[in-house]
Amino acid sequence: MSGFLKTGRRRAAALLGGTMLSLAGLLPAGQAAAQMAPKGTLVVLREIDADRYDPHRTTATAAGEALFLLTDTLVSMDWDQKTIRPGLAESWKVSEDGKLYTFKLKQGVKFCDGKPFTAKDVVYSINRWIDPATRSPVKWRAGPVKEVRAVDDHTVEYELKEPYSELLLQLAQYFAGMVDQATVEKLGDNFGVQGFNGVGPYCWASWTPRQEMVLTKNPAYNWGPPIYKNPSPQVDRISLRVIPEANTRLAAIQSGQGDVTQWIPYFALDGLKRIPNLKLVQQPNYFYDNFMGFKVDKPVMNDPVIREAINMAVDKAAINKAVWFNAGQVADSYINPNALDYSAKAASEMPEYSPDKARKLLDDAGWKPGSDGIREKDGQRASFLLYGIQQTYNNGMMQAVQADLRRIGIEMRIQLWDATVAWGKLATQEFDAFVMSYPYASATDALSLYFPSGNRPTPNRMNWSNPETDRLISDAKTALEPAARAEAIGKVQQQLTESYPWVPLIRQPLWVVSGPRVEGVRPHGIYGVALYKGLDIRLTR
Amino acid sequence: MSGVNSTAAAAATPVAPSVPRQPGTLKRLLREPVAAISLVLAVLLVLAAVLAPLLAPTDPFDNNLSTAMAVPGTPGLPLGADGQGRDMITRMLYGLRATLVMGAASVLLGGAAGALVGFAAAFYRRLDGLLMRVMDVLLSFPAILFGLAIAAIFGPGIPAVILALSIATVPLMARIVRGSALVVMRQDYIEAARATGMSDARLILRHVAPNCLSPMFVFATLRFGQVILLGSALSFLGLGAQPPVAELGAMAAEGRTFLFFAPHVAVLPCVLIFVVVLTFNLLGDALRDALDPRLRV
Repeated sequence: MSGFLKTGRRRAAALLGGTMLSLAGLLPAGQAAAQMAPKGTLVVLREIDADRYDPHRTTATAAGEALFLLTDTLVSMDWDQKTIRPGLAESWKVSEDGKLYTFKLKQGVKFCDGKPFTAKDVVYSINRWIDPATRSPVKWRAGPVKEVRAVDDHTVEYELKEPYSELLLQLAQYFAGMVDQATVEKLGDNFGVQGFNGVGPYCWASWTPRQEMVLTKNPAYNWGPPIYKNPSPQVDRISLRVIPEANTRLAAIQSGQGDVTQWIPYFALDGLKRIPNLKLVQQPNYFYDNFMGFKVDKPVMNDPVIREAINMAVDKAAINKAVWFNAGQVADSYINPNALDYSAKAASEMPEYSPDKARKLLDDAGWKPGSDGIREKDGQRASFLLYGIQQTYNNGMMQAVQADLRRIGIEMRIQLWDATVAWGKLATQEFDAFVMSYPYASATDALSLYFPSGNRPTPNRMNWSNPETDRLISDAKTALEPAARAEAIGKVQQQLTESYPWVPLIRQPLWVVSGPRVEGVRPHGIYGVALYKGLDIRLTR
Repeated sequence: MSGVNSTAAAAATPVAPSVPRQPGTLKRLLREPVAAISLVLAVLLVLAAVLAPLLAPTDPFDNNLSTAMAVPGTPGLPLGADGQGRDMITRMLYGLRATLVMGAASVLLGGAAGALVGFAAAFYRRLDGLLMRVMDVLLSFPAILFGLAIAAIFGPGIPAVILALSIATVPLMARIVRGSALVVMRQDYIEAARATGMSDARLILRHVAPNCLSPMFVFATLRFGQVILLGSALSFLGLGAQPPVAELGAMAAEGRTFLFFAPHVAVLPCVLIFVVVLTFNLLGDALRDALDPRLRV
C-alpha cells in the first residue's frame, strides 16, 4: 500500500504505461477491450460525441470534429488563424462598399454521392443556415444577409444589407458547411443523424452515437485547402471513436488501439513527451479561453472596485501550474495576443496580480473586513455566487480562485452544475458570476459574441449594456478597412480592460498526440478542432 | 422520531416478552470479536469526525497551490496534499464529518418518517393499502434518480443529498416497522391495553413502538452504511457537497482524473469510505445477532 501511495510524479510515465494498460484490460466495456486499430483505418479518439452532425443546427466542438471532414466551406483558414485561403471558392471579390462578395467556385467538385457541386448548392446551404425555420443557434454568424444568389453554375453572389468585416472568417467555420438539398429533404430531422452528403474529404459511412463514427474517403476529392501539401486525403477510412475517460483514452493511444487524439489530460503531457514512439505537436495559434464573468448589474458585482480587486487577487500563474500542470497560458488580456486585432495597448493596462494592492483598494473604497473576515460596506457583504459546469478544470480553478478571494476578504460561493442542466441555469439571473470557456476566431468574433447589449441574457451573461460598446462593436463589424476594424475593436478591449466585467483566466493549449504508425499530423484548432481537414495524415502500416 | 426517544421510559416499563430489551445487549455485542472491533471503530470514526476542528493540523479550506498533489510522506504532509495543495489528513477528517452527518441525517429523517408511515399502516388498517402502495412506488425509484431530480430543482449540495437519501429510506423503514408492528399488535397484552381505554397514540408509544425497536435499530445501522455509499456516489457525480466543502465522495471525484498521476488524492478518501461502510455494516450485523432472541444461545 505505502509503495503504491508513494508513487510520485516522476514515476507517472512508467505508471501510465503499466498500470493503465492492466486496468484497461480489466474493463468490461467494448471500448477498452477493443482490437488494435485496423489496417488502413485512422482511429481518432474523442472525449465526447455530438447530439447531431448537421452544421446548421449545432454549435458543438465535437460536431466540428466530424463536420470539417464531412463537408467543406467556401473559404478555409490558414494555420495562423488569421489568413483566409481558398476553399470551395478558388477566388472572391469584395465590392467597394463591402456589401457584395462574389465567389468563383472550383470546377469538378462532387458530393459524396457523385453529384456535381454547383452554385445552387451554395445558395441552398446558406439559405438553410439563415432560414428561421432551421432555428440555427449560430445564424448571426452569417451576417446581415440580403440575398445569396447563383449567377451561373460556378459564381455566387453574397449580398449584405450592411458591411460585415467578419464574413470570410465566419464562412470558414463549419456552420457555413455545404449540404445537399436532396439528402436534407430525404432525411428531414434525421439529417446528420442517419446520414450526410457533403463535399468534404470524407463521407459518412455509419454512426453509433456515443461510440463510433466511421467515415470513408471521398474518392473524387482533390480540392483541399492550399494549406495542406496534399489536396486529397491519404487515409482510406477514419474511425472517430469516443472514449470519455481520460486515462482509458491515453492507454488506448499507448497500446495502439487508437492513432491520434487532441483530448489529452494536461497532467499527462510531460509523461507522454518522454515516450519515444509517440509524437506530440502543439498549435501555438489556438484561441480557446477560460474566463470568469460578472453580472455587472447585481449588488456587490456592480461595484467596479470589487471587480478590479478580484482581478488583482487571482494568482493565475499558480492556477496554471497546479490545475493545468503548466500546460495552459496565463490569460492577462481579453484577447489572445496571436489573434486578429488583439490590442497590445489595452492588454498592457490589465491589473497585475497583487493581493496587497487589492486589499488596499478595497480598504480605500470603504469595504471593511467584518467579524468573519469577509468585507462589508453599507450593510452589504462582499459575497457572491458563481455558476459553472461541473468539470475537473472548473472545479480546480474555481476552488483556487475561491481561496485567493478569501485572502482579500471576498467570499465566492461556488455552484457547479451537471452539464445536462448547466446551460439552462447559466441562462438565468440567479447567479452573480460564472466561469466558462469558449473558442474564438478573432477579437471581433469574441467580443461581438459576448458584449452587445442585444445578446443579453445569453451569451451576454454579464448583462453588459453600454451604448459605446454597442457602437464600437457595430463599427468593427461593418468596417471596410482592416485598420478601422482593429481600431474600433481595440477601443472595446480598452473599455473592458478599464471596467473589469471579466477575469480572463487561462488560455487552453492545443496538443495532438499520435502513435507510431501515423505521420503528418499538424494540429489546426479552428473552433477547437485539431485535425480540421486532416489531409496530410498518412498511415505507415 | 418520538418512538425512539421514548426508549428509556419504555425500557423501564416491564413490557411483553416478544423482543425483550435486556441490559445484556452491549455485553453480548462485545463478546463477538468482530462486533467489538466494529463498535470500537465506529466510536473512533464518530469521535474523529466530531473532533475534526481540534484534530486537523491545518485549515480545511486554505489552499497552497505550491504543494498541489504532494505525495504522501512530503515533510509536513504525512498523507500528501490534494489538487489545491490542502493537507489530506485535514480534508479527510472534515470529509468524514460531512459524510457522517449526511448519513446520520438521512437515516434519522427518513427513518422517522418511515416509522410513522409504518405504524400508521399497521394501526389503521384502512390506510394500509394506500400507504403501502405509495411506498411501493417510492421503492421503485433508485436513490440516485431522486438525487438527480432534487439537485436539478434545488441545486446540488449536502441538503439535497440528505433529502434524496431520506426519501429513499422512508419506504424501507416503513415496511420493516409495519411488519414488526403487525406482529406485536396480535399479542394479547395489546388487547388488554386497549381494553383499559388507552388512546391510540399512547398505545403505539408505550407498547407497540418499544417492541419494534430492535429491528428498527438494526435496519438503521445497516442503512447508515448504504446511505453513506449512496451519498458518496451522489457527491461523486457532483450533486452533493460543493467546493470547497470536503466530503469523501466529492474528494474521490476530484482525484479521479489524476488516479495514475497522484493516486493518493482519490484512493485515500475511497479507503476511508470503505472503512466507514464496512464498520457500520458489521456493526449492524452484530447488533442483529445480539438483539435477535432466536439467535440467543
